[in-house]
Amino acid sequence: MSNGGGKTGRQLEKPSTWKRKSGADDFAQAIAKIAVAQLLEGQGFHSFQQSALEALSDVAVRYATSIGRSAHYYANLSGRTESNAFDVIQGIEDLGYVQGFPGASEVDHCLEDSGVVREIVQYVNEVEPIPFVHPVPRFPIVKDRKLTPSFLQEGKEPPAEHIPAWLPAFPDPQTNTLDPTGDTTGAEPHAANGKFDQEREKNKGDWSMLSSQQQIVSGMFEKPTFTYLDDAKAKKAAVESNPFLAPPLKVGEKEVAPIAPPAPPAKLFNNVASDNPVARNFLDDKSVSVLETFTPAIEAMKSTTYDSGEDQTKHVLNEKPTVRFKIGVRNKFLGRSTGLSPEKEHQKTLPWFAMEDEKDDRKRRAEKILRESLQNPDQFVQL
Amino acid sequence: MNPNHNPQSSDGGRHDDDAALTEFLASLMDYTPTIPDELVEHYLAKSGFQSPDIRLTRLVAVATQKFVAEVAGDALQHCKARQATIPKDKRDRQQKDKRLVLTMEDLTKALHDYGVNVRHQEYFADSPSTGMDPATRDE
Repeated sequence: MSNGGGKTGRQLEKPSTWKRKSGADDFAQAIAKIAVAQLLEGQGFHSFQQSALEALSDVAVRYATSIGRSAHYYANLSGRTESNAFDVIQGIEDLGYVQGFPGASEVDHCLEDSGVVREIVQYVNEVEPIPFVHPVPRFPIVKDRKLTPSFLQEGKEPPAEHIPAWLPAFPDPQTNTLDPTGDTTGAEPHAANGKFDQEREKNKGDWSMLSSQQQIVSGMFEKPTFTYLDDAKAKKAAVESNPFLAPPLKVGEKEVAPIAPPAPPAKLFNNVASDNPVARNFLDDKSVSVLETFTPAIEAMKSTTYDSGEDQTKHVLNEKPTVRFKIGVRNKFLGRSTGLSPEKEHQKTLPWFAMEDEKDDRKRRAEKILRESLQNPDQFVQL
Repeated sequence: MNPNHNPQSSDGGRHDDDAALTEFLASLMDYTPTIPDELVEHYLAKSGFQSPDIRLTRLVAVATQKFVAEVAGDALQHCKARQATIPKDKRDRQQKDKRLVLTMEDLTKALHDYGVNVRHQEYFADSPSTGMDPATRDE
């Protein structure tokens, strides 16, 4: 694709490098696409446009869903919860009224004799069955949930009389808190992310076995939320209520992945491109020199001024981190960041976002690359 | 089970229909639809459809398959019709005939007859200022 003129020229992303956000239904959609592609092939098509396939498979899925909904509705209308064949036939008929089928206009027709059924029978008799190419597992997979046992199940007595025995038992007092007051219930910080809650639930049993020291160590590497607990009780209140208001961690307390700060370069990239094209340039087949790629960005950076985070950027530029990295196909790079203390504080308050948002992470990597090139304009990044 | 009874047909006729339907449902188990059962079950479960009978899921799968096949057939006809009308000499057309590609254009036309209105982007531009006069373009 041709670049636009002047400084705002940029490269277009290749469709193969687009990374869509994964949705909950991706697996089923993919299977539907394969099935529809097989049907197209059976009809005689040699190939298809991606967008056309996606549209048609989406329509097919909606068709099936719509039959299901109508069938369920007709069953409910007759006072049943389970649908039977006639509900399904009526559902198919409902969708067939648009195109029309023989006998559609008959008000009181017999459902067994319905035109749709006859047409389906005809189709089945005429067409050779094309089996689906891949074996499909049953999905969605239901995971076994290990529920916290209740007071009754554990054989314990609830601590106070207002607590019924069938409720889940309280965790062990030494589980989470290192607080001298030994407050068992309120010691856990409220994680902003539901995912951490589930993980915490699972590991509650394991945690009670560990000593407090071990908990700190394991917490550092696995669960960032628990690192807040190793401070004195003065911070407990803040931790309890809002992890964002918790005091920042000191340098070296927590291992963080080396990522660049989410500074103004992100804004620039947002203006210039939609989805981090800079990093994707490296995935181009033709080798593009980094300097060329970043020239517009560098020039723009020098010219524009930023409101927030400017000091941070300057701070960053003054330092010279010893980062060695290699850009691979999957756009990952190994690096060690040293002496990036000012940003660490900023970063540590964003563990959830950093983990959740892939896009931000890539943006930060790109900014890191940018910093590197700014400091060593003569040195080309090794791809 | 059957609330609508047709006064015209005799009792024998109704039994025939019964038999035909049950026979068909049984035959469905022999026919393997291209759309896998698990997929159909997933989407039916999503829509609230509940039935212990697998033949019904097969019925839905076959109905969907038939629908897709019909749409594909219509799109194929549109595609072929378009190829036929292109004024090209025989040599070029031979080559083009071999590539039947499902395009959004044909699909839109085919789906329109089924009451599904699909809109798609005609083209995508690099940036809002692509194609504009270079003098007026924002730098």
